[in-house]
Amino acid sequence: MSRNMITRRDFLKVASVAPLAGALLPALRAGRAGAGEKVKVVLVRDPNALDASGAPDAEVIQRMLDEAVRALFGEKDTVKAWKKIINPSDVVGIKTNVWNQLPTTSQVEQAIKRRVLDAGVPEDKVSIDDRGVLRNPIFQNATALINARPARVHQWAGMGSCLKNYIQFVPKPSDYHADSCADLAKIWLLPNVKGKTRLNILVMLTPLFYVPGSKTQYDKQYVWPYKGLIVSPDPVAADATGLRVITAKGREFFGQDQPPRMSPHHIQLADTRHHLGVSDPARIELVKLGWKEGILI
Amino acid sequence: MTAQSRPAAGRMASFIPKTIGPWLSEADHVYDAETIFQYIDGAGEVYRSYNMKLLVSRRFHKDGRPDIVVDLFDMGSSGDAFGVFTHDFDGEAAGVGQGSIYKAGLMSFWKDRYFGSVSTEEENQDTKAAVLELGRLIASAIPKEGPKPKLLSYLPAAGLDAGRVSYFHNHSVLNYHFFVADGDILLLEQTASAVLAPYTTAGGKSFLLVVGYPDEAKAARAYESFAKNYMPDAKRAGIVRTEDKKYTASARAGDIVIVVFNADSDPFAMNQLASVQELIETANKK
Repeated sequence: MSRNMITRRDFLKVASVAPLAGALLPALRAGRAGAGEKVKVVLVRDPNALDASGAPDAEVIQRMLDEAVRALFGEKDTVKAWKKIINPSDVVGIKTNVWNQLPTTSQVEQAIKRRVLDAGVPEDKVSIDDRGVLRNPIFQNATALINARPARVHQWAGMGSCLKNYIQFVPKPSDYHADSCADLAKIWLLPNVKGKTRLNILVMLTPLFYVPGSKTQYDKQYVWPYKGLIVSPDPVAADATGLRVITAKGREFFGQDQPPRMSPHHIQLADTRHHLGVSDPARIELVKLGWKEGILI
Repeated sequence: MTAQSRPAAGRMASFIPKTIGPWLSEADHVYDAETIFQYIDGAGEVYRSYNMKLLVSRRFHKDGRPDIVVDLFDMGSSGDAFGVFTHDFDGEAAGVGQGSIYKAGLMSFWKDRYFGSVSTEEENQDTKAAVLELGRLIASAIPKEGPKPKLLSYLPAAGLDAGRVSYFHNHSVLNYHFFVADGDILLLEQTASAVLAPYTTAGGKSFLLVVGYPDEAKAARAYESFAKNYMPDAKRAGIVRTEDKKYTASARAGDIVIVVFNADSDPFAMNQLASVQELIETANKK
C-alpha cells in the first residue's frame, strides 16, 4: 500500500492499553508523520454564544472571533490583528457553508466581514458565498480567502471539515470523493485557491457528532451546544482539533469508544501526503479561551 | 438529465401517484449520478457507490400539513437496489416491496432495480399513514421483483442475523458498517462486490465478509494485501489472534475472498471459512 494504514487492530491495541482511548488515534496516525514546529490553534467558547432560541448571539460571536484573532496573532487590538492577514488592497472571498440543517450562520459571516472591512477592504471587494464561488467575480479574482464552516460528522468524508469546505472550488466535486475524500487537500493546491487562505474558522456552536444513516444526515439529538469557534491559519490543525472534540463527544454520548463509521483520514492525509498543514495534536499549540465547562479536550 | 435518461425518468415517474389523500404533487426533479449532489449534500456518494442511474424526486404539498417527499432511485440492478437499502437498518419492517423499514417519518424500500424513500418533515398519525401508503402504491406499480446478490447464498445459516446483512462495492461503505482499515486493504476498488454478515455467537458477535472479485488474480492480490496489512503477525497462514482476544481468519476460493472477524475461537473461525467454501463449491456445481 502507498501509505501506512490504520486498521481495526490499531484501534484494538490502543483500546487494550487505555480504555476510552480512541482520541489517541489521531496522534497514532500523526506520530508516523514525523515532528516539526507547532502551529497555533485558538479554541474560544462562551456560554452566551447562543440565545434562548438556540440562535447565535451576534454580539457574542463578534467578541469570540475578535478574542480568537487577537490571541492568534498576538495583538491587543482586533483591527491590528486582522491587518496582519488582510491588506486594504485585497479582494476577499468569505467561503461559507449554506447547508440548511447546520449552516455557518449569518452571525459568523457578518462578524468576519465586519473585520475585513475594518482592515480597510472596500465593501465591493468582499463577498460571502458557498455554492456559487466558481461563478462569483470576487472569488474569481480573490487575493485572500477566509474559510468558515460548521463542524459535523459527514456521511462520506468522515467529517465536514474546513478542508472539505473548499470542494465548491472545483467544477466536479465527485472527482475528489474517492476513498472517503482522502485527497481533499489537493483542492487547496489548485491555482484559484493555493496560498490565498488567511484564516479558517471551524464553527463549533452546535457541532453534529453522529449521523444515524444515509437518509438521515442530521438529527438534533446528535448536536450539542458546545458554543465554540476554532480559529487557525492552518485548516488541517483546525480540523484535527475539531475532530478531537467531536470524537470526545461521541464517546461521552455513547458511553464507549468505537472505531469511526466513516474514516476522516482526509485530515491526516492533508498533513502526511499533501503537506498542507499539521494534524498531529503534539504539534499543535492549542490556546483555550473563555468558557471551560464541557470543553472535552 | 440526458436525452437518454428522459424515458427512464418518465417510466419511474409513472410509478409514483400524483396525489395521496389531500396532498397534491409538485413538479418532479430528476437527478443523475453527477447532479445528485445538488439535491443530497453528504450522502450522494453513497448512492453513487451503488451505481445509481437516476433519481426522481417528487414533493407532495397540502396547506397546513407537513410536506411529504418521494425519492425513487433507479440503481441499475436489483443487487444494487438491495445494496443501498442495506446501508441503513434502523427501523421496523413495513411490509413494502422486497424489503422495507420505517422509522420516525421515513420509509425506505427496494423492489427490482428501484430503491425508494418516502419521508415527511413531521411525523404524525396522518403523515405516517400517507408515507406508508405512498410506499405501498409505488412498490405495487413496479411490475416485477429482482434477484438478490448471489453472494448472499454463500452465507452459512447458523447464527446469521439475516436482517442485517449489507452489500456494497467499496471500503468506505465497509467501514461504515464495520471499520476494517482507513485504506482499501481488501482492494474492493468499486469493482468488487461484498456482503458483510453479522453472526450471533456465544461470546457476542462475529462478522463474516465475503468478497467477489472480477477475476482470480485480483482476488489473490486482495488476499495477500489483507494478510500483509491486517495480520502481518499471524503465526499460521490465514488466522491471527487479535488484541481483543478474538480471532480473524481469511481464505480465498477462486475469485472470492472470505474473512471472519471477531470469532470467539480458532475453530469457530475455521469452521465459518470451511462452511462458506462448501457453499461456494455447491453453488458452482449447479
